Amino acid sequence: MIVHDLFLPSPLLALSAGTMVLLASIAWRRSAARSLSIGLITFLAALALTGRHVGSAPPGTVTLFIQDRWADYNGILIVLSSISILLMSWRDLARDPAHPADESALLLLTGTLGAVAMVFSANYIPFFLGLEILGISLLGLVASRRLRFPEGCEAAMKYLILSGLSSAILLFGAGLAYAVTGSLHFTLPVAAGSPGIQTAATIMILIGIFFKLSAVPFHLWLPDVMEGAPVPVAAFIAMVSKIAIFSSLVRFFGTGHLPFYMQSLMPAVIILTILGGNLQALQQTSFTRLLACSSIAHVGYLLIAVLSPGQLQSGVITIYLAAYTASTLGVFAIISAFGSPGHPDGTEIADWKGLFSTRPFLAVTLSLMLLSLAGIPPGIGFFAKFGIIATGVERQHDLLLAVLVTGSIIGLYYYLNIIRVMTGAATPLMVPPRTRQPELTVLVTVLTIIVIIGGLFPARLLRPLLPAPAMTPPYQDVMKASRSG
Amino acid sequence: MSPLPALVLLPFLGGIAAWLADRPRAATVLRNREAPWRISLMVLVIETLLLLAATLRPSIHNGPWTDHFSVPWIPAMGIAFRLDMDGLSLSLIWLTLILSLPAVLLATRQVKTNAGAFHFLFLSTITGIIGTFLATDLFLFFFFWELMLVPMFVLISAWGHEDRQRAAIKFFLFTQGSGLLMLLSILGLVIAHYRATNVLTFDYFILAATPLSPSLSLLLMSGFFIAFAVKLPVVPVHVWLPDAHTQAPTACSVLLAGVLLKTGGYGMIRFNVMLFPEAASRFAPVAMALGVAGILYGAWLSCAQNDIKRLIAYSSISHLGFVLLGIFTGSQTGMQGAIIQMLAHGLSTGALFLIAGSIQDRLHTRDMRQIGGLWAAMPRLSGAGLFFAVASLGMPGLGNFAGEFLVLFATWHVSPPMAVLAATGLVLAAIYSLRMVNGIFLAAPLASPKPVTDFPAGQMAVLGCVMAFLLVLGLYPQPFVTFSAPSPPAVTAATGEGVSPP
Repeated sequence: MIVHDLFLPSPLLALSAGTMVLLASIAWRRSAARSLSIGLITFLAALALTGRHVGSAPPGTVTLFIQDRWADYNGILIVLSSISILLMSWRDLARDPAHPADESALLLLTGTLGAVAMVFSANYIPFFLGLEILGISLLGLVASRRLRFPEGCEAAMKYLILSGLSSAILLFGAGLAYAVTGSLHFTLPVAAGSPGIQTAATIMILIGIFFKLSAVPFHLWLPDVMEGAPVPVAAFIAMVSKIAIFSSLVRFFGTGHLPFYMQSLMPAVIILTILGGNLQALQQTSFTRLLACSSIAHVGYLLIAVLSPGQLQSGVITIYLAAYTASTLGVFAIISAFGSPGHPDGTEIADWKGLFSTRPFLAVTLSLMLLSLAGIPPGIGFFAKFGIIATGVERQHDLLLAVLVTGSIIGLYYYLNIIRVMTGAATPLMVPPRTRQPELTVLVTVLTIIVIIGGLFPARLLRPLLPAPAMTPPYQDVMKASRSG
Repeated sequence: MSPLPALVLLPFLGGIAAWLADRPRAATVLRNREAPWRISLMVLVIETLLLLAATLRPSIHNGPWTDHFSVPWIPAMGIAFRLDMDGLSLSLIWLTLILSLPAVLLATRQVKTNAGAFHFLFLSTITGIIGTFLATDLFLFFFFWELMLVPMFVLISAWGHEDRQRAAIKFFLFTQGSGLLMLLSILGLVIAHYRATNVLTFDYFILAATPLSPSLSLLLMSGFFIAFAVKLPVVPVHVWLPDAHTQAPTACSVLLAGVLLKTGGYGMIRFNVMLFPEAASRFAPVAMALGVAGILYGAWLSCAQNDIKRLIAYSSISHLGFVLLGIFTGSQTGMQGAIIQMLAHGLSTGALFLIAGSIQDRLHTRDMRQIGGLWAAMPRLSGAGLFFAVASLGMPGLGNFAGEFLVLFATWHVSPPMAVLAATGLVLAAIYSLRMVNGIFLAAPLASPKPVTDFPAGQMAVLGCVMAFLLVLGLYPQPFVTFSAPSPPAVTAATGEGVSPP
């Protein structure tokens, strides 16, 4: 690439530079605390550089990256989630002298780099590179569970195989799209002839994305992988990789009306995702598995908004992402705060019995987060779900709304079930000792405040951030002209 | 400055104070284990004074809407924090306070575990209820509607009786699930209004003028109806009620039966009948049939219960059938009867739950067969129990009679067979009420009675006030009838004049 054509969003630059600094630092001397600090500083730098970019693209050319408010917003969400996840894993990594833990910080950093690259990419190549960087980092992170190493390895293998399979399908789809349109531009392949190959390309790309997004029927890996992974890594899978892939999905389809074959395919996937996720969550006894299933269901709700273009859509998707991120991060932060070395780590629901009397702060905040996920006021999730229903009503998706209501009622049951367990009588044996963990207390408090304030005053979050409807015919002409010229 | 936002927020803020007062450090400073209880009591007294001021405050608006408050909340979606008060909401808020004061006075003092949290949740529920009665922005209404469920759920599941957790989850799932249907209806109405006028708003008064096709209006109305029917409760969806009422701690049973159920009736009047008058009149035969079914079914099952709280819970289903019947008769009289019945049922059943709770605290059982005659041991408690049981069976001269009579009167004009069937419910009411009175108070004492203490004079005075209200409501209902009439949405408080003809 020629230097004067270079266009690079600054957060990517910050994350890459931070990765190199971290590698150099590890090569010099291993120290978990220093690695974590470098990671934290890198994330803060990436956050501070959001909205800036290096170089400028001449108008009309096809760039590798794109920077608009949608990309910036998702980038911020991803980096903020990564900061929270770093704080969650800080205690276990920094206070465990037996296992050098620099790799975790490094993989967290590269994983975030991959996710942010996906968010900013406007081309198949950086998108796929980002996807793979993220996937490979996750592989290492998932296997890093020290207390239950075999389970972590099993989960990592599962992730490796399925993720490789879905990447291959996605890559094949991208190749077909290139064959049809002659462009690597990351958007719906639209060309004059050969509708069959276009459809095949779209569906293959979509299958790849649904795999990563764990939409039913491509969801089976998620609960297993999240259960095998350490708690902060499970949070990473549920937040960072999902936000990245979801933002790419929105960029791929644009916000306009979908092609007609998608109009029948998407509702089917949404219905399966909502019902499948919720019904599977009903049977779980493991908290992380339950959260995995609930995150599948939330993807389903979010896809309803994607399917409903209209006046409300943009603001609703924005607020739903924020609500899902804040509430789920809150739950994971509380699980991390609950667990302490040598005691139940809170990944089984039964561990939480009687928490209202033993550790009321955690119990109250966890209830709030769960209610927010279930869509009950005063949490931010209430307004988010309200918005999703509003978009559905606006486009009159009657069947999807019925499924959403059914799914929400089922969801309510399993969320309430955890609160019910916490109100039960505590068995004295299971009370874990309190450990000092100021970073987790601060994190949980901040997330709680975000969830409540966001729920009471959501007006500021309602912003139109989605990318403009991508493929308009004039734009295509410009692209073709630039390619031939 | 309008007192309405203060009315809504005060209990919640007071609840936070009560919670903080229960923290170990604060408790040593205050040297008082009962601090949360005292704070709650104080908050409720201040709230009552505030309400008194709001009642006596000269109405600055012409027309039936006496007070108004509005600030924008989420302007992008046309949502405002809008509260309006008319006679109906005012009288229901009075009922809320008249019941929650005795509930706190008599029944929450003995809550020892986590008393601060208990009072916080109790007062939050009251905030939700008062908010529901005042909100005239549909989003805000739904917000409060959902908000009051959460603290009630925790109250039942943490402080209730033996089978509390199942009952709490059942309660929450039923009310929340039906609430989602109401949300669909609200959004359907808003979007229909948006399509017609290009204005996105959740304002009750503006939405009331939305032009709707008959089928759409029936569809939207049924969404609201299902939500309110679950809360009221109407027979096929009443399943949560007996469990929730039986398992809840005493103060919460009082609040549930006395006030929470009334939000269902309030919603039917305010939203079903006033927003969709034509659809409501077409739907009326179905609703009235459901009402009669509820009266008979609730009464019949009530006759078969041995658990006192369960018996009272089923009798509630029967009494609230009258409310449903009255609301949908389509006449002024029926509506007035329904409102009087709501007030009277709140007072009498609330008091009955208080008495049942006191019996359970003293004898540790709710089974009528194990209680035996209490009259000799506890004459005051038994006397009060007799009074409220008789009130609930519809004795002339007490509030319930006035309500039921007006409803039956209005029903007779619409459909004599329904009136006859509904009146049969009164006979059953006599059977179960007298069976309860006989079983608990008048039967021969058990062979080995446990030593018990009667109600102290102070508590009797509180119950005496409730009795006085019931008597006034029964002997001279006219002022309440005129006072508590619901106002049509075509007249708003903001301007005092008609917005547009509905």
